[in-house]
Amino acid sequence: MADSGAIEKRISRLEQIVARLEREELELDEALSLFEEGIGHLREVRGMLRDAELRVERLIEEVDGSLSTEPFHEE
Amino acid sequence: MRDFFEGNARPPRRAFVRQGSTWSLQTAGQQDYTPSTLNAYARNIIEGSFPPIFVRGEVTGWKRYASSGHCYFTLRDRNAQVRCVMFSRDAARLPADPEEGMEVRVFGTLTLYERRGDFQLGVRELEAGSGDGLWRLAFEKLRRRLEAEGLLAPERKRPLPAHPSTIGVVTSAAGAALHDILHVVRRRAPWTRVVLAPARVQGEGAAWDIARAIARLDRAGLCDIIIVGRGGGSIEDLWAFNEEPVARAIAACSAPVISAVGHEVDVTIADLVADYRAPTPSAAAERAVPDHASLSRETDALRTRMLRAVDWRVGAARDSIDGAAEALEQGIRDLIDGRRERVQRCAEMLDALSPLAALRRGYAVPLGSNGRILRSVGDFEPGGEFGLRVVDGIVQCNAAAVRTIELPEATNG
Repeated sequence: MADSGAIEKRISRLEQIVARLEREELELDEALSLFEEGIGHLREVRGMLRDAELRVERLIEEVDGSLSTEPFHEE
Repeated sequence: MRDFFEGNARPPRRAFVRQGSTWSLQTAGQQDYTPSTLNAYARNIIEGSFPPIFVRGEVTGWKRYASSGHCYFTLRDRNAQVRCVMFSRDAARLPADPEEGMEVRVFGTLTLYERRGDFQLGVRELEAGSGDGLWRLAFEKLRRRLEAEGLLAPERKRPLPAHPSTIGVVTSAAGAALHDILHVVRRRAPWTRVVLAPARVQGEGAAWDIARAIARLDRAGLCDIIIVGRGGGSIEDLWAFNEEPVARAIAACSAPVISAVGHEVDVTIADLVADYRAPTPSAAAERAVPDHASLSRETDALRTRMLRAVDWRVGAARDSIDGAAEALEQGIRDLIDGRRERVQRCAEMLDALSPLAALRRGYAVPLGSNGRILRSVGDFEPGGEFGLRVVDGIVQCNAAAVRTIELPEATNG
């Protein structure tokens, strides 16, 4: 199951990597390790896009005011 | 029974009196009215004679009692007026109090306020004489107040995240709005997590319900973005979204809020305070999440850029290695050339200094028997032998005679 939180993180990390690769004068080994990391993120994101399934939850407030969620199924 | 009026010219006075739950003919004197029974009687007749009615007129002297919530006013036209009361239960539904002199249309029942003997209209519903006047009035009042507080300022609008992981939805759990939102999110961005905070979106208390749901979602801290909305309906159905609690909850929310009240034409207060106004819940969902396809395009573009950048970087590295090698080679070549030149120069210098050069030019050097160079007349013995070194050998010589020659001043050696 894809962790939906990861998509945004991975994409913004990807953007950072690309920006660094494009703008900064990096040592070759650093550039290559960034590239490797970027390829990893790309693979993960593509996997998420392919396999994801919508998760719907309902927010519940307990008597003590604490909040939690439970799966919600549309009628 | 003795007829009290017998023989009298006046006709017998008759009236109805209440006997238990029924009314029967009252014979004068049989039972006199009191103000209470009279008013009760009058009230009964009035209420029994008039069905609930619509009355149109001008409002004057509107007063809402803070403690009870009841509202009292007079409805009038040029020639007449009628006292009106609107009890808190009904008055609470009014979007705003009508202004003095406002033309209104009320619906209610005519009655008599027995304690005072006042003839009055018990108003159940009140609306502006033309269209949505009261709604407009309430809307404008609140809008002006929020505007004065700066809550509608464009610079308060926050940008929406491009790839929200979790979307909060405040709407009815059973409504079409939720269905539409889930449908769109599932189609476009199925990796998204949706957290519903259910709220009643119309009817009494809906505004507070919505406001609480927004605050709860915000407090849970799960959402990157929150959609607040409902499907379309009449202005009355949508009214909760024009109320202050909703406006304040949206303004206080730390996550960006998209308003999605299903109505194309009218703007609600929620729309004005929200960071983004969507015309419908579906449109809100479309705005909230990126499309599957566009996200794919986006990651493809990132991939291309990354490949290009790395390619360039590796190319640059290769270039710089090539450059370094070339420089090295050139350096060595230069070094070698330099050496060669220096050796040549040294050789030439050596050559210039060599006595052989002088010998080659025709000079000869006399050498004594011990190999010493004979430099002056005094080194020779008259009749003695000496060798003469020329370029290609030694000539044995005899010194026949010696003679000294004075060296001229300016002559140099």
